[in-house]
Amino acid sequence: MLINFTLNHKPVSIDIPTDITLSVMLREHLKLTGTKEACEIGECGACSVLLDGELVNSCLVAAPSVMGREVITIEGIHAEDGGPNDLQRNFIEKGAVQCGFCIPGMVIAGEALLAIKSEPSRLEIREALAGNLCRCTGYMQIVDAIETTAKERAEKPNLSKRER
Amino acid sequence: MADLKYIGQPAQRVDALDKVMGKTKYVGDMSIPGMLYARTLRSELPHARIVRLDTSPALQVPGVVAVVTSADFVNHSNFGFPISDMYMLAHEKVRYVGEGIASVAAETPEAALEGVKAIICELEPLPAVFDMAHALDPDAPQIGPNRTDGKHPNYIGHYPVYKGNPKEKLLQCDMVIDQKYETVMQEHAYLETEGGLAIPTPEGGVVVYLSCQSPFIPRNDLCKVLGLPADRVRVIVPPVGGSFGGKDDLNYQTAGQVAALALKAKRPVRMTFSREESIIASYKRGSMRMNIKLGADKDGTLRACEFRSLYDSGAYSSQSPFTSWRASIHAMGAYRYDDCTVDIDTVYTNTGYAGAYRGFGNTEVCSGIEQAIDEMADALKMDPLEFRLKNCLKVGDVTPHGQLLSESVGLRDCLLAVRKMSDWDRKRKDFANQSPSAEKRRGIGVSALFHGTSLGAEGLDEATATIEIHADNQVTITSGLTDYGTGARTVYTLIAAEILGIQPERIKVHNPDTNTAKDSGPTVASRTTILAGNSVRVAAQNLLQNLDWAAADLLKCDVYQVHRVGEDYIGPSEELVSWDIVVKHAREMGLVLSAFGRWSAPQIHWDEEKGTGTPYFAYHFGAQVAEVEVDLKTGHTDVVNIWAVHDIGKVIFPQGAYGQLYGGISHGLGYGLYEDLDYQNGYAQSINFDTYLIPTSMDMPEIQGGFVEATFSAGPFGAKNIAEPAMVPTAPAILNAIANATGRRIRKLPANLERVMLGKELTKKGSPFSCKVALKIT
Repeated sequence: MLINFTLNHKPVSIDIPTDITLSVMLREHLKLTGTKEACEIGECGACSVLLDGELVNSCLVAAPSVMGREVITIEGIHAEDGGPNDLQRNFIEKGAVQCGFCIPGMVIAGEALLAIKSEPSRLEIREALAGNLCRCTGYMQIVDAIETTAKERAEKPNLSKRER
Repeated sequence: MADLKYIGQPAQRVDALDKVMGKTKYVGDMSIPGMLYARTLRSELPHARIVRLDTSPALQVPGVVAVVTSADFVNHSNFGFPISDMYMLAHEKVRYVGEGIASVAAETPEAALEGVKAIICELEPLPAVFDMAHALDPDAPQIGPNRTDGKHPNYIGHYPVYKGNPKEKLLQCDMVIDQKYETVMQEHAYLETEGGLAIPTPEGGVVVYLSCQSPFIPRNDLCKVLGLPADRVRVIVPPVGGSFGGKDDLNYQTAGQVAALALKAKRPVRMTFSREESIIASYKRGSMRMNIKLGADKDGTLRACEFRSLYDSGAYSSQSPFTSWRASIHAMGAYRYDDCTVDIDTVYTNTGYAGAYRGFGNTEVCSGIEQAIDEMADALKMDPLEFRLKNCLKVGDVTPHGQLLSESVGLRDCLLAVRKMSDWDRKRKDFANQSPSAEKRRGIGVSALFHGTSLGAEGLDEATATIEIHADNQVTITSGLTDYGTGARTVYTLIAAEILGIQPERIKVHNPDTNTAKDSGPTVASRTTILAGNSVRVAAQNLLQNLDWAAADLLKCDVYQVHRVGEDYIGPSEELVSWDIVVKHAREMGLVLSAFGRWSAPQIHWDEEKGTGTPYFAYHFGAQVAEVEVDLKTGHTDVVNIWAVHDIGKVIFPQGAYGQLYGGISHGLGYGLYEDLDYQNGYAQSINFDTYLIPTSMDMPEIQGGFVEATFSAGPFGAKNIAEPAMVPTAPAILNAIANATGRRIRKLPANLERVMLGKELTKKGSPFSCKVALKIT
């Protein structure tokens, strides 16, 4: 079926089978491989994307259900110049990245949290990441990265998304 | 080494940018024109004879292009080291649920699955043995290969350490404890599942992109089973999404399967595993049953240790001979004894199979000995941390193996540091005074460890790196050892930048590639920083010589008169010349702008019969303290705090070292509290993350870490290592804390709800259903 939706701020129109998930549509049909699949049962969060601004496991979303909606993947998270935004820079800065496989999902989950909570506590950050598994880092430096970003954004509340 | 510019200074991981942008391409993200998708038919029985295998119906399935079985390889695809008991695809028999039998390549993943389903595979069930205690029964079904020495075919080996006669010594000790401890299988749970992409070459060879640790092993295996010379097989390691010891043997089979399919189909072939296939087919940390006897004087001096254990390797030996050997060396813990013996026996069963996993035998034995040490301290009414301080190894001691420790032993400092950081003395006192009726009880526990660096007497231990300055003055490094998330690339970069006196940004580290890098042995045993790091150091020094000559020529002085100011060179004339100008001049002089460096580890020796020698050339030491809160109503254990201080020698890449420490602790916390890849009658009882629980961000406490830098003179800038030992002491520290909180000792891992609540486990009856469904349908 033909579905129309907004992907990373651009309109997309694509003909897909009706029985695939959003993660399969992104990875196989749109070749956006930043979204990872690691369990395909909604347990690990590697396939996290923002659907109308809300954090979802794209492996649990039927692809046709995004018709008319807005999807943001890791490829849609960046600074205006296409480089890393503040959150991504802090992931690098704080040592939050090891093998990197969970990291796109972690960045998405971090953005989802920061969109609704400006100065989360470390415990609130941990709660927000509870659906995203990481086997490398023990989560410490990922929490550091999100905490630092929250503080920086709180100090500059007028910075637009594009300026981050 | 006061003025180090990059070593030990704040630095960022060199490969992090692409990862945070979602641009890094793992094997499953790669696709090339004409690529086929592969899928493997796997055994649904734990032990069976293959009586009929007809792949022709699969070739009738629309979209299926090629099918391979063991008959498509040389010598039935036999491989494996140190015991050649594995096959790229099963030959005549299957020995565990999940073993590959035939592989199909097709135009789509769906067609490949239909092809797998169409294969006619008749399996005749054979009697199986699942309990390691019965693996060597005279009537036990044969799992291991035939042997000519009269020993049971299910026997893999015996691994001893012998010093004196602890049996006699124990009779003289004031206090003796005699306990049994048990560990269960643990799944690596790397987020990226296994996968490989094979591309046939016009010359009749094959290039394989393989998510693995040690590319030269599959390259050599592929040459053997495909009958191709070394120049026709190339293995490249793309970015790897975690491994922890887990992407060796099984994924070598993946390499064999996709390579054979690609050669047959004359098209690229990619295989990636589902999580279920990954957990069912892959090897695990093996389970171990230990009996530990300790003897001590009433003043708290440890005198004797007698350690016996049985280790279950499952269906294949894989790395278990080495795992068992490492376990034997570390079984008695980092302590002095008058008399100490260790005997470990390792056997085959039909329970999955065991291979390498972070800690590699030490994780298993440490969970036993560090509980036994606590039990001894309790029996002597001594503080367990004080008891460890009294008996722990220090410089000048001789280990039970007979090795004199002449340098780099920071254990005492690690113990003292965690004692202070955790406020140990006050908490032990406070927690002893909790109300007996309190439903939530706090406890605090400690664990120490030592961990031999690198391969030790397991094998030849050397590494080679190359370094080169290109026409655009970019510097590139190759190493045969892999960075599968560890941070090794950054370590190489910082070492080369320090030696060459240039910005790290100028340096790039190539992906490991058997056509461009030198075989440097396996990427295992937390050996990369010392081995590859030293080889990069030597390579950079060799390159630096040429640049120094060029600088001297340019500055019209002797080499010893040349100095550095930042990247620039300066001579007696005090005129600054940039590094780029020096490189240009070196080129004009015709000097070679590439170099290689080889580093061989110090010679060591182990006598396998006498159980004595020098097992490792250096040791990592560490201590961790865990604080827990146990809910006595539910059995839930909350790890409130962990303090961890490790002696890793000179810290080269601090942020990466902390990352390894925190990550290792998360594996150890899972091992201590939840992780149990339980098999019932050969069937894995957890096959995805809904039932195989690994720690989440909510399960992990805030960790306070630190490093003791007891430098090792032969390490690069004095460095030792961190990766594996970070996880080793965590589980026993937690178990000791639970015992401190509840007064009850849990001697079988993990300390899950029922063991904490009831002190025993609830019986489970295994169903093969989910494994069978997952292998065929999902």
